[in-house]
Amino acid sequence: MSTAIRMEGMRVALAGRVVLDVPRLVIETGERVAIVGPNGAGKSMLLKVIGAGVPARHGQVHVLGYSLGPDPSEGEGTHRALAPDARRALRRDTGLLMQGLHLVQRLSARENVLIGALARLHGVHALRSWARWYPTDLVAEADAMLTALGLADRVGTRADRLSGGERQKVALARMLLQRPRLILADEPTSALDPTATREVCAALVGAAADRDRTLVTVVHDLDLLPALSTRVIGIRAGCIAWDLPTGRVTPQRLQALYGQPPVQADGPEVDPPAAPNAGWQA
Amino acid sequence: MTRSGPIPPDGPRPGRRFAGRTGFAALAVLYGALVGVCLATLVGAGDLSLGRNPIENLARTVGEFLRPSFLDVWLGPERLEYRSDDGSVLRVENRREVEAGFLAATARATWVTFQIATLGSLLAALMGLPLALLVARNLRAPRLLAWMAKGILDVSRSVHTLVFGLILVGIVGLGPTAGVLAIALHSMGTCGKLFAESIESMDMAAIDAVRATGASEAQVFFHGVWPSVLPQIVSHHLYVWEFNIRDSTILGLIGAGGLGLLISEAVSLFQWDRLSTLLIVVVALVMAFDALSRRIREALL
Repeated sequence: MSTAIRMEGMRVALAGRVVLDVPRLVIETGERVAIVGPNGAGKSMLLKVIGAGVPARHGQVHVLGYSLGPDPSEGEGTHRALAPDARRALRRDTGLLMQGLHLVQRLSARENVLIGALARLHGVHALRSWARWYPTDLVAEADAMLTALGLADRVGTRADRLSGGERQKVALARMLLQRPRLILADEPTSALDPTATREVCAALVGAAADRDRTLVTVVHDLDLLPALSTRVIGIRAGCIAWDLPTGRVTPQRLQALYGQPPVQADGPEVDPPAAPNAGWQA
Repeated sequence: MTRSGPIPPDGPRPGRRFAGRTGFAALAVLYGALVGVCLATLVGAGDLSLGRNPIENLARTVGEFLRPSFLDVWLGPERLEYRSDDGSVLRVENRREVEAGFLAATARATWVTFQIATLGSLLAALMGLPLALLVARNLRAPRLLAWMAKGILDVSRSVHTLVFGLILVGIVGLGPTAGVLAIALHSMGTCGKLFAESIESMDMAAIDAVRATGASEAQVFFHGVWPSVLPQIVSHHLYVWEFNIRDSTILGLIGAGGLGLLISEAVSLFQWDRLSTLLIVVVALVMAFDALSRRIREALL
């Protein structure tokens, strides 16, 4: 197995304060990794560093074979931008599903999904895409993707007329059409009802089913850990607290990671709830 | 256009000093002082006067405006005799025919005015758009190009259409061409500024999301930027067009064709009834186009 992500001595400082400090982290190709931790722990920041959205100025960061770290000749604290071609290739291979969804409001759901396929077009098709004229097989693929996510009757609807959950599914479909080797998803089910959550999880896991696909997800709904991940990384205050196979993640560890569950009205002592997320989501 | 790294912060802005309630009060005092100085110097120089008998002049002018010339087409005398002092007939004219002819000339001039405004605005938008793309800070054009584009837009916006017209009449001669180019050159600045502002108000996160799929810069433009700003650009274009229909009515004054020519003629000959007709046409034209463009803009949003 090759390595999808390798970090060594990676630190991110904002306004002089270290918000993320990862001495060593290796994610192999084909792994499904979930990142958990309380709000503000640095989960999204870690995802952004991997997705090259936040420059890594300290230590070494390798993603899909590209080096994102500081410029070796200039030393720590600098940032070396990738060459434009390499940057595009890395972006094409990295599927981002970030919070905020960021659809193009005035394009239809189908057109938004097709944006995911832009980097796959070459030659005359790439030129035609300027006029939003796509090969029919791609359009069929986009429609099939939307249908699989239960949006068959919304393909022609403008993105700003979709509900929050529908937008989340469109953003997911756009990312899937990109056929990325590395999927980075930040709370992909945050706006979804239970049925939609199941559909989205199935789609994510399905997209990462190939042995050469890697899935890294920031998860708040701890019930989803077994479905979405084979390995869980707990982050607290910018540091990796633990890094375990999903089967060995116990409620006690999660409880320690998120701090004590909130005290309920009927007494100070609270048993670990049956549903792991009942108390820890706060 | 390279687009990596975050936008550098603007640093402390001088405008911050006027923030808050005290700052606003200070601004109001400053403004009051400025108005006071303007008034005091005008009065001091004795330049602030309404003339010798403003009431009488006003009543006469209003009286003449209240009987626009086009009414003569139906109500005018069919045989109007011009006589000299000794009573001999100098000339006889049919007022109805004369005014019908004037009305036809007005219609032709209105069409020319509309042509000038339409073609000038289109040209302005076509020239303003590329400059706006360079000026919009969120698209990160090379700084030198951005400065040059901003300079062009500022100059073209600060020179009045009439001044451009005067210069262009000397270059391309009298006629609508000068009018079209004058409108285009001045409105290019307005269009460019408005377009740049709508580009800057785009949801950049959505654009970045398109770029994050690995799309090329051209694809990012056509799938992210263009669909996001198109409605605003069309709406701004309609606004500038609307504005230019007003503006081009005056361009005839300098010989650039259209209604302005008839207006300046009517003013020089003190034909207030004809001026009244012309102003009614101008107001009707502008109001009709305003209503139309408002409908279109509402439909676009």
